[in-house]
Amino acid sequence: MTGKFILMLSALMFSMAVLAADNQYVLGVDGLACPFCAYGIEKRLHKVDGVTDVQVDVGESLVRVTLQEGKTLTEERARQAVDEAGFTLRSYAEAGDEAGSSDAK
Amino acid sequence: MRNVGKWLAYSTLGLVIALTLLGCAGGAINWNQEPPYSLVLAWGEKGSGPGQFNDPTGIAVTETEVFVSDARNGRIQVFDHQGRFKRAFGTAGDGPGELGRPMNLTIHDEKLYVPEYMNDRIQVFSLAGEPLEIIGGPGDGPGQFNAPGGVAVADNGDLLVTDFYNQRVQHLRRDGSFVRQWGTTGKTGKGAGEFTYPTDVALAGDGTLYVADGYGNRVQVFDTGGDFLHKWGGPFALGIYGPFKGWFTTATSIAIGPEGNVFVADFYNDRIQKFTAEGDYLTAFGSEPDNPGHTGMAVAIESDGTVWSVNFADNRVEKWQPD
Repeated sequence: MTGKFILMLSALMFSMAVLAADNQYVLGVDGLACPFCAYGIEKRLHKVDGVTDVQVDVGESLVRVTLQEGKTLTEERARQAVDEAGFTLRSYAEAGDEAGSSDAK
Repeated sequence: MRNVGKWLAYSTLGLVIALTLLGCAGGAINWNQEPPYSLVLAWGEKGSGPGQFNDPTGIAVTETEVFVSDARNGRIQVFDHQGRFKRAFGTAGDGPGELGRPMNLTIHDEKLYVPEYMNDRIQVFSLAGEPLEIIGGPGDGPGQFNAPGGVAVADNGDLLVTDFYNQRVQHLRRDGSFVRQWGTTGKTGKGAGEFTYPTDVALAGDGTLYVADGYGNRVQVFDTGGDFLHKWGGPFALGIYGPFKGWFTTATSIAIGPEGNVFVADFYNDRIQKFTAEGDYLTAFGSEPDNPGHTGMAVAIESDGTVWSVNFADNRVEKWQPD
């Protein structure tokens, strides 16, 4: 019984992780090395409804945004947040679709 | 053929004159330069333990201690002058005593003033780490902030604060009440008294105000009455960035030395630049990054002239002394 429960719990956690991964977005934004810029992007994206995490990858000039299940980040909303922070959205993609990311310029 | 030769000679002469004028205007050519400083001590690495950092963004120094903004860890770390960890205070958050990305630090009258980028406020601590006071809140009204980056404190306790996204510098009373501002709220500008994402401020002993106009790539100076005095950084301080002497590529921190010299962290050029009070270039020094990113983030000057800086890309504190 305990084994079954652990198995079910593991399956549930795995499915949640997959769902969470489906709700991630990757934004390309250049010039993010300075914290005054990077924190500005984070601050604005955190104000978007449903955003739970924002990670800035300085080396690759990418911003990874995670949202609650059922919430979405449209390209328009992402562009607005990036613009408000003083930058230009270079690319926009849902996680897992980075190879096919659109050029947002 | 002779005309072509004459034309070439005049063109070359004109080019040399233009470059010389540009060099003089930008500060790259002057005759009172000093030798650079040498790195004498460094410590730190990425992490969240004592002596480790996750985005060091500000620094302040007393006769015995070094205070460092450890931004992503939401804390201030305190070390002795040999780099030995002494204590830390703050945790990530927005309550009293908590910190939302602490930036350029200032110590005045035995108190630590911490601008919080994410919480849009200035939080005041005792040097032991006890939270004492919160000044300001989010917004673009008088006494409100949108990502404050630096603060200076006058002898009478008044505050001068760079309000990064509001494109202004605010002068407030010690209780946070508004006195005046420089710059137009929310509007960038390249003229005298206008700002493009200002990051930090410093007050000289005579009350002269120095502003690091971050993405304006220049320093602007105001007298004690608030009137604009002068500016420098690149050709005619018009906001043009570059790697040359006296130019900036994002000025992120500013501090005044014991002899009135001005030190500016020049982030994307990975260096600290030293100037006279009038803006004449004296020297520059810094570390090449070992990791992706840039190093010249923040600077503080000890009373004996020793320079302390934080190396952002490598999560280190660095100590520099003249050669």
